[in-house]
Formats: sequence, structure tokens, C-alpha cells
Amino acid sequence: MDAKTFQKDGVNVFEVAGEININTSPELRKLFERESLKRVVVDLQKVSYIDSSGLATLVEVLKRVKAQGGLLGLSGMSDKVRSLFEITKLDQFFLIAETREEAVDKVKQPS
Amino acid sequence: MAKSARREFFVPSDFAEVPQASAGVLSFLEPLELGENALFDLRLCFEEALINAVKYGNRFRRDLKVRVLVEFDDEKVALTVEDQGRGFDPGKLADCTREDHSLKNRGRGIYLMRKLMDKVEYNPKGNRVCMIRFLSR
Repeated sequence: MDAKTFQKDGVNVFEVAGEININTSPELRKLFERESLKRVVVDLQKVSYIDSSGLATLVEVLKRVKAQGGLLGLSGMSDKVRSLFEITKLDQFFLIAETREEAVDKVKQPS
Repeated sequence: MAKSARREFFVPSDFAEVPQASAGVLSFLEPLELGENALFDLRLCFEEALINAVKYGNRFRRDLKVRVLVEFDDEKVALTVEDQGRGFDPGKLADCTREDHSLKNRGRGIYLMRKLMDKVEYNPKGNRVCMIRFLSR
């Protein structure tokens, strides 16, 4: 798994690539812990596989963002990855967008 | 000619062993020429069961192994994962999709197993799970 982070329109964007699984999700969790989490987009376009530990990591980030009164968007999910959010009903808790740009628009502070 | 085969192997109780075990299962299933979706689901369910066995069953003790049995025939794939722990009662797991539990991080692995496989059965002790996926679905 590879992850990079950058700012766009005041939003912390995390671009994740590869697999978010039992062995890689701790590394992703540490990355989130290092960054400020008020307005966040996690772009999953390059994520090929996610397991329940990966879902749990994203839930933990969501809780931290909500605790700060912020917003979290997910973008670029493959049909398969998206289906896991739907099956577990987690899609009700995240702002989900097709593209990173749409997600940033939903999450950024109004100008 | 009917296809059928079975393979049993043992996995040390360490998360680092999960990728190799999973690759072994998928490679064994190659003769079935399953599609991407089916392979994703089988891999995910197998790994969730194995992770639970390593973490909750064998408590990461490398001297304890997880027994894996993979079987297939023309109708189905069956994956059995068994640990050496005390077992548990899967009936007592809270529904992770219930509103008051949705953001708690417990039970989602087993929930996914039940949704993606056609049958998921635990033995009475709760230390062995058999998951079946029918090929005709």
C-alpha cells in the first residue's frame, strides 16, 4: 500500500493505492494520526482491495473528523469496494463521490 | 469430466502469514476459472475467517496453527478454517449494521462472510467455520 497526502482548497486529500488489508491498515492509521483531520478526502481510486480492518480504519478517521466538527469524503471507489460499504451500511455515514474533485467540493469550506 | 479436489494445510498464527495462505487458496481454485468478483469474495471471506482464527482463536501464538481445508467440485467451493482456541458463540455477536453498532469496529468480518458466501456454519464449539459458495450463483 502506498499513500500520499496533499492539500487542495483547504482540504487534506489522502490518495491511497494498493490494498488496505490487515497488514497495511496499521500504516494507514498512523498516517491519519499524523495529520490534521478537519476537512478530509480519502481518494480510493487506486485501491484494489479492502478488508474489514481497512473499513475499520476509515471508520476511525470518520469518528475523529466528526469529533472536530469536520467532514470526510471518500472518492473513486471501484464497484467492488463500494459494494462492501453498501453491504455493511457504512455508505450511510460517509460522503461518497465518484471523483476526487467532487469529494473536495462537498467537503471544502464554503468561500 | 467432473472437477473435484481438496487440499488441507496449516497456517502459523501470525497476520504476516495471511497473504501466502490466501494466495495458496486462490491458486488451488484456478481450475475453476472463477471470475474476478467471485475470487475477490472468496479471498475476502477466507482472510476474514483466518484473521479471526489467528487473533481471537489462537491469540497470535505461533506454536498454534490454523487448519485450512479447501474443497471444490462442480457445484461449489467450500472453505473450512479451524483454530485451536476455546471457541465462541457467533450467535452473540451484535449486528454491525444496527444503528447503535454501525460505527463500532466489531463483527464486520463475520457479517461480510455471511453476506458474500452462500452458507456459513460454525461448529458447536465455535472454533471451526465452514463457508460455501455455489458456483451457479
